[in-house]
Amino acid sequence: MAALRRSGGVVVFFWQGKLPDPRDAAFAEAMAQRRFRTIENAASEEVSIGWVTANDPTGDSFAPEDFEAGSGHWLRVRIDKKTLPRKWLAIHRDVAEKAKGKKLSARERRELKDEMSERLLPRVLPTVNLVDAILFHERKTLLLFATGKSVREQFDKLFFETFAIPLERSDPLSLAQKTALDREQKAALDRLEPVRWPKQERSERIPARRTRTDASAEVDA
Amino acid sequence: MTKPPSGSETHGFLGEEFITWLWFRWETSGGEFILPGGRVIGIAIDDFLTFAAPSDDETEHTLRHGLPTRTEEARTALRQGRRVHSARLIVAEANRQWVATLDGATMQLTGVKLPEDAEEVESDSDRTADRVANWLALHEIMKALYSIFLRDRLAPNYRATGAEQQAQWMMQ
Repeated sequence: MAALRRSGGVVVFFWQGKLPDPRDAAFAEAMAQRRFRTIENAASEEVSIGWVTANDPTGDSFAPEDFEAGSGHWLRVRIDKKTLPRKWLAIHRDVAEKAKGKKLSARERRELKDEMSERLLPRVLPTVNLVDAILFHERKTLLLFATGKSVREQFDKLFFETFAIPLERSDPLSLAQKTALDREQKAALDRLEPVRWPKQERSERIPARRTRTDASAEVDA
Repeated sequence: MTKPPSGSETHGFLGEEFITWLWFRWETSGGEFILPGGRVIGIAIDDFLTFAAPSDDETEHTLRHGLPTRTEEARTALRQGRRVHSARLIVAEANRQWVATLDGATMQLTGVKLPEDAEEVESDSDRTADRVANWLALHEIMKALYSIFLRDRLAPNYRATGAEQQAQWMMQ
């Protein structure tokens, strides 16, 4: 097993509710229910998404110790995608059109694609994407090492399907709500508006320093 | 027409104000923060800075390489009251140093580089545990700094205190 990455982008998620403890068998069982299933020999264009572990990228085995990663637990999603190469399709269509002497109709193009998919897709290898996340059970926090919208949403969906608990993505508001604010601060947060900082006119720029009163008068908290 | 701050429903503006505040605190107080438990954290802005476009007709302003915060373009943007959209930050605690680009509107970190692995780690599982601790530490530090910012920002007298001081600094 290689070590966890040391660089990259990260998206923080929180959750509420009771998630099984990753040290318990119930957690591994829930992951196994949504394990990755291969599409290596599939004859259709499709995407397969499911859990694997850092120890076993096939999705065949899950044990609580597979998730251990110091103070957190290491989750891994495998996303395989099989696509018919577009250039192959274009070449075959070209050949068919030359043989026919004119352009294929929409129906003929669809039939050609279906026929090619059936014949070629079993020979096409899927692209493999392994996406890691670290789960901190007691903190109800998860760090996902992927910032793209598509992967983020796929992970979010798989997590919900596995544990029936929705993930809440961190943003300035949700993160603020996780900090220790008192009732007055929470109320102030709800009605907060952006600060409109004073704008200096171009002719005023140098020498630049304004008086305390001038600057503060324009600050709209 | 003034463009509403990005992510207004998630208080995206607040994350952008947070980055500007970090810059302000770095320049005026040396960027040192004492976190709960006595942890001392140092913050600096590195070689990447983006100012959000103030309206649909204007452009986002990106400054790369060198020391963008020292440039006249950056000072001008501050004087014009522009929001800092994202910045590459250096975060330091004792002998550990992280580098990460913080996007204010989402509070998402990209291009993160963790501190070097601890010298004593030998196996991949030890290395993973060390890195997990460093990822968590970065998250906890950013959360704690944000919490300090929020205490200032949500104070009833913010307009007369923190905002006024920051406005003075932005006008320099």
